[in-house]
Amino acid sequence: MKIPRSHYLPRTRNGWIATVAFLVAMALAQPPIVHGVMNRIEPWVLGMPFLFAYLLLAYVIGIAVLIWAQRRGV
Amino acid sequence: MEPWVVSTGLIFLYLIATIVIGVLANRRGTANMEDFFLYGRQAGFIVLYLTVVATFHSAFAFLGSGGFFYTHGIGFWMAGTWTVLVGAITYTIGTRIWALGKKFGYITPADMLADFYESEGVRVIVALVSVLFTLVYIQVQSAGLGYILSVATGDRISFELASAILLVVAAGYLMVGGLRAVYWTDVIQGIWMYVAVWGGSLLLTYKLFGGPVELWRRLAAERPDMLSLPGPEGFFTPGMWLGMTIALSFGIIFQPHMMIRYFTAASSKTLKLLGATTPIYLMTLFIPAAFVGLGGALILPDLATPDRVFPELLFRFAPPWLTGLILAGATAAAMSTLDSILHSNMTVLTRDVYQRYVAPDRSQRHYLAFGRCVVVVLLVVGWLLTVVNLDYLVVLVMLSGVGALQLMPGVLGVCYPNRERLTTGAGVVAGIGAGLVTLYLTRVYFYQPFGVHEAVWSLGVNFVVTIIVSQVSRQPSKATVERIHGEVERFVYGD
Repeated sequence: MKIPRSHYLPRTRNGWIATVAFLVAMALAQPPIVHGVMNRIEPWVLGMPFLFAYLLLAYVIGIAVLIWAQRRGV
Repeated sequence: MEPWVVSTGLIFLYLIATIVIGVLANRRGTANMEDFFLYGRQAGFIVLYLTVVATFHSAFAFLGSGGFFYTHGIGFWMAGTWTVLVGAITYTIGTRIWALGKKFGYITPADMLADFYESEGVRVIVALVSVLFTLVYIQVQSAGLGYILSVATGDRISFELASAILLVVAAGYLMVGGLRAVYWTDVIQGIWMYVAVWGGSLLLTYKLFGGPVELWRRLAAERPDMLSLPGPEGFFTPGMWLGMTIALSFGIIFQPHMMIRYFTAASSKTLKLLGATTPIYLMTLFIPAAFVGLGGALILPDLATPDRVFPELLFRFAPPWLTGLILAGATAAAMSTLDSILHSNMTVLTRDVYQRYVAPDRSQRHYLAFGRCVVVVLLVVGWLLTVVNLDYLVVLVMLSGVGALQLMPGVLGVCYPNRERLTTGAGVVAGIGAGLVTLYLTRVYFYQPFGVHEAVWSLGVNFVVTIIVSQVSRQPSKATVERIHGEVERFVYGD
């Protein structure tokens, strides 16, 4: 079977949404963002220091994107 | 009853349970290679989920992660990044590996790579990298097990004897029941370790601080350096953060004991659901580890060995029965990784070396018998590596985490069809070689140049060399490319 297009880029709208959303979530948990503006204790979020809560949120977004992709059959 | 009797009794109760499971698995199994090595390619979601998470989290999750939080502060919460990435890798690459394995009957990663690249050199290099870089993990897990049991018994069982006992049990149920026994024991181990880490951590946090919120408040007041980057000792620099993210996501997934799990799934839906949900378990296990490590830094600030923070807190502040249950959970964490590594090395050596080059065309029973003999040899080698303290092992262990990462360009070349450019067998071999040399140099001689982790350096050089050599070397035949890439195309996008 011939390969019409490279597999490195998504071919569907949902594929693009999932890929971009996941990469954004991962980028939010990487330098320089975490070592810069997010590297702080305050403000406290639900009793947690800010950096901890921020990273937790980034991870939850990443997982949510994966679950969304799975439910959409991406 | 004395605390050590309770702890030791619970650990041995757990060991007996694993042996019983091994025997039951043997009764359910059939004497063929697919069943013994790959669980008959019929692992359902729950079994696969728990074996993947239990295998991913080793003794390190129990002892090492607490030690990391204790020493370097909140920076180790970056561990969540690589656990989420593991889910995405399973979702995207794992499903493709599964589809190719099902279609073409692959049993090991080397099977798949050698078939596409039409190269026995690729098969040998991949098998060597697979075995060598995970062999030292047997030693690491075995040492962790010996440590746990000797601590639990108050040194009444020596470290050497303790590691021998636990190695024999893990090898025993593997030899009896094959991968089915490993998977079934991993189900118990995966549940036990999760409950144990959370239960022990919450008990300690409420007893010592009145709850997690108060723990955070005290940390902010007394040790604010633990709550910001790069941590008290300046460890979590941007370069270290990025490098550890790559090494501990892709690096662990490309180890044979993880890749072989993809071949065993019952369906692609099972694997996609696995990829979407495993990060929930993997990531949330580091939350209690943070409570233990950061809380330990306040309560026991002068520990000589930070990795001991969890057992030290338990022995001082938790009831004996709970300490025993949690240490049995730590045993489970180490054994679930150890048995998987023993299994993958047995499979690679039997399939990629013995069956291919030494004794082809023998019966299935013959190969199963040989596989069991391999386990015995690995058992002896693993134990010797554990009790004979060799200095060069320290270097090997440091290198091993990034070693499997070098398979990445080769795996992507198979699983991701690209119209513009094909990866070649010579490119893969040259890339792995260049990557390993770079890994050694940037770890040992020129330590992390410009603050960038050796995983990034070695993988970058690997990709560059693979691409360059692939431009000038013989490509896989058109028929093979159309057969394998065509199958990937059909699997992902349909006809």
